[in-house]
Amino acid sequence: MRTFPLLILFVFVCSLSLMAQNDLSKMFDEPVQAKEHIPVTATFKSPQIINGQSNETMHKHDLLFVVMHRFGDIAGSYGGMQTFYGLDNSSDILIGFDYGISDRWSFGIGRTKGAPNGTNTSQKQLFYLKTKYRLLRQSIDNSIPFSVTLFGNSVTSGMDRLNLITSDADFQKFSDRMSSVTQVIIARKFNDNFSLALLPTYVRRNYVSYMDMNNLYGLGIGGRLKVTHRMTVVADYFLSFRSQESKDYFLQQSGFRFYNPLGIGLEMETGGHVFNFIFTNSTAILENQFIPSTSSTWTKGGFRWGFSISRTFTLSKKSGS
Amino acid sequence: MKTLITIIMLIVSCAVQAQIVTSRNAKLSFFSEAPIENISAESNTGVSALDLSTKSVYFKVSMRSFLFKKSLMQEHFNENYMESDKYPYAEFNGKINEPIDLTKEGIYPVTVQGDLNIHGVTKNYNVKAELKVRGGEITANSTFPVKLADHGIKIPRLVIKNIAEIVQVTVAAQYKAESKEAAQSYSSPKKK
Repeated sequence: MRTFPLLILFVFVCSLSLMAQNDLSKMFDEPVQAKEHIPVTATFKSPQIINGQSNETMHKHDLLFVVMHRFGDIAGSYGGMQTFYGLDNSSDILIGFDYGISDRWSFGIGRTKGAPNGTNTSQKQLFYLKTKYRLLRQSIDNSIPFSVTLFGNSVTSGMDRLNLITSDADFQKFSDRMSSVTQVIIARKFNDNFSLALLPTYVRRNYVSYMDMNNLYGLGIGGRLKVTHRMTVVADYFLSFRSQESKDYFLQQSGFRFYNPLGIGLEMETGGHVFNFIFTNSTAILENQFIPSTSSTWTKGGFRWGFSISRTFTLSKKSGS
Repeated sequence: MKTLITIIMLIVSCAVQAQIVTSRNAKLSFFSEAPIENISAESNTGVSALDLSTKSVYFKVSMRSFLFKKSLMQEHFNENYMESDKYPYAEFNGKINEPIDLTKEGIYPVTVQGDLNIHGVTKNYNVKAELKVRGGEITANSTFPVKLADHGIKIPRLVIKNIAEIVQVTVAAQYKAESKEAAQSYSSPKKK
């Protein structure tokens, strides 16, 4: 009778050892999978969605060179055949560099033409400094369900003072030339093909035209949808919380209406280069201008073709191991 | 008598189990030569097991553990080519063809036949390898070509000049006998 439990034990051990022999893979089930919370990569493919920022920063010691362009109105009174559907004009151009200090923290510097819209914004020749820090990174095992990145910029207008008391370029002192943006980018990669970002934004402009707002809040939403292996559809939309009082004033004074910027585009990636081909009603490229004062609308032909080309240069010399 | 037989059998079965040697820091690397730039990456965290009695060989490596010189390359590797979220591991399950005795010291050139699973696609390989038994330690080395197309890894036409279609894969493992505790831990896997 004493043999009975032993026999059971024997069968048990035997089956275990057999299992171990036939399937060596079982040996590593645990140690390999117990590996920590790996962060999700490529929620977006570049630091910028279209008009808005993405949660992505540069890799450590990578340098990004970027050129962004927005043409003139495709249709409406400023578009059509006479401007070759806006291609003769440029509403805004940006040339800049981004550099990764660490895998979480990057800096950028650049210049844009600036897109004055006459009534509300007259500032041009903008120089910007920007920084982005990854506070949280979504992890593959969902222990952190979303990514949070902080973004901030400081913009200075280098233009000659415009001697026009009603404009925001009638600079009295240097600080009048400055504006800044503070933004939180909350992003989630839902699966391989679909990512979404929410961008609560605060825009501070030190000097604005009469009845315009020094402090303005906005909320952006952006998304990415993969169509093929290399091509994604990207879109973003910004709500700007301008006071009714201010809207009414500009409408009554100069028939000036504010719209929310919407951008839709195709993004192509070819290892190191990212090219995006977009359409948007926003004339300006910097948040400091397009959130407060987008004044053209899709419905009246006030949208334009735009593109951005970026190239990443790897400056680090770390070895493969 | 029965008890005695059972005990003997138990010992035998335990002995069989002890004939498995493992490596938890197997080195796996690959190299691709292409007109524009060479690509290489390395992982030191592969795992491997070798069963001395059945001559079964097993390798497993996490795709995300491969380190590249350029971070962007590493991201593209995981994101565009290997789809590491979907297929996190590469696995090889095979058997040594030659009748060799790995308890004796020496250098054994062998061939190993087995299934290699990369990017969710399994293909049967017959690769050359070298086993070295010295001072009670076994090391294994092998280099073999892997054709990316065989594993459903697509290279877009645009970057075809940047990436070679055939990649040289190198594996190197140094085996240790599994400790009793480890042997028990894989018999009854714990959940964390």
